[in-house]
Amino acid sequence: MAPKRSKQAAKSPVTTVVVMRLYVAGRAPNSVKAIANLEAICREHLKDAYKLEIVDVCEHPRRALDDGVLVTPSLAKLSPKPSANVIGNLSDTSSVLAALGLTSVP
Amino acid sequence: MLDAPDKSQAAFAQWVRRLVTGAAELRAFDAGEIDAVMDRDSGSAVLLPEAQSALHDSNRIALSALDALPGEVCVLDANGVVVMTNKAWRVAGAAHERSGLDVRAGENIFVACGDVPESERECAAAVSDAVRQVLTRMRRSLSYGYVCHAARTRPLCEFTIAGVAGDGPVTAIVTREWDGEGPRAKKTPRPATRRSSKSSSLLQTAEKNHLLASLPAADYARMESGLEPVELTFGKVLYEPGEPMDAVYFPGNSLVSLLTLVEGHRALEVGLVGREGMIGARLALGAATSTVRALVLGTGTAMRMSTARFLKEFHRSPALQRALFQFTDLLMIQISQTAACNRFHIVESRLARWLLMTSERMASPEFHLTHELLADMLGVRREGVTVAACALQQRKLISYRRGDITIVDTPGLKAASCSCYRYMQVQAAARTNGR
Repeated sequence: MAPKRSKQAAKSPVTTVVVMRLYVAGRAPNSVKAIANLEAICREHLKDAYKLEIVDVCEHPRRALDDGVLVTPSLAKLSPKPSANVIGNLSDTSSVLAALGLTSVP
Repeated sequence: MLDAPDKSQAAFAQWVRRLVTGAAELRAFDAGEIDAVMDRDSGSAVLLPEAQSALHDSNRIALSALDALPGEVCVLDANGVVVMTNKAWRVAGAAHERSGLDVRAGENIFVACGDVPESERECAAAVSDAVRQVLTRMRRSLSYGYVCHAARTRPLCEFTIAGVAGDGPVTAIVTREWDGEGPRAKKTPRPATRRSSKSSSLLQTAEKNHLLASLPAADYARMESGLEPVELTFGKVLYEPGEPMDAVYFPGNSLVSLLTLVEGHRALEVGLVGREGMIGARLALGAATSTVRALVLGTGTAMRMSTARFLKEFHRSPALQRALFQFTDLLMIQISQTAACNRFHIVESRLARWLLMTSERMASPEFHLTHELLADMLGVRREGVTVAACALQQRKLISYRRGDITIVDTPGLKAASCSCYRYMQVQAAARTNGR
């Protein structure tokens, strides 16, 4: 059900776009929270410089299995390198920022 | 997707631990932040019991609550995808030929807004922008007028988009009201205030009455302002013989019996009218007074229209004329067949026929009727009804308890009914198919 979504910074070509994929289980409570938390973090810290794909594992289990996802919600940062993962409902903002490599962002 | 296997909580936790090996995954699992576990064996996601019950409960409650609302409601998720729509939304969408941004569950409202006819593009863009503003928390609610060029009738509606900010991302509730008053000022944010939901309830009842539902949208739209939803309660007399008929009624889920009164005798039912027809069709034949008593047998909804307005609509709508003539023809068949049936067929078969006709018109296998009334309906003594009802009950075709009748075995009851029932069914089908 969750469609692909992308927001890219067009204004500044030098901005690094963070590419993420969030695996969720439909509208299950932790999945809904994870989406909300991630969106809030992206709005605050990345403005438009991110690309987020939400994968509903209930509808596309094969994708999660192929990507080595064990549980949901699960966030994978794909680029820039190094890649990183955060498991859970993403309520711990600092660990999400650390995984996204944004700890130094003022 | 699989639901959690039927295991005790401890055993389930153990099973999850076998599947989940990573430290981060286990930490999240222990913190209760996990919804589902991927099971390589089945190749699917297994929902944890908590997530599963939360989903079941919230879906069930939300769906039934939404459907119960008379207004047209559509719920969007944070991406603008339609999570659910209520019954009124779907009914109105069908009635307006899917114009007026009639999105369905699973569709994206932003995509739908971009996929409208050229003439609606400006309005759709305004709605799309409003949804975006609400979903991004820029506004809490917005209302926009929308001119539907695709629809042949009732070209104006008003969208109100209200944000719902809970634990998760902002979602939106979109309500739609059809309006004949003229386009409202566009881009005028104002609080989401509800006006009368008359048009929504009109559509719902109209949908239930087959005669109204059979009319083309344009004819129905012209009549709509003269239709007033009313509730007909059991025992209410709509017409008495010899008295003028000051209004007509289009039953929704109500049921009306037409009774003939002969001096010195009990009333006798000659016709039964429900959602397939109307009460007061005689007006269309030039009569002004009723010859029968119209008695409400089944409490339910109906649409009322004044006689003067009805006659006006009747004379200018060929479609209404056709629908009425067809219904009157069927009513005449019913009346003449009932006359013969009352003379020739045994009470048990007649009772079976009557119960089937009632059940069909009320769209329910259960209804409440006393032996007294049943005796009136069938033109027999009360004792005769008791014997017939007991016989049908012994054959396990119906259950009867203190006036509560339930049809237990419809095919069996059809077999037990007299040939008049089947004859009327065949005639109705033939008329519907235009023969």
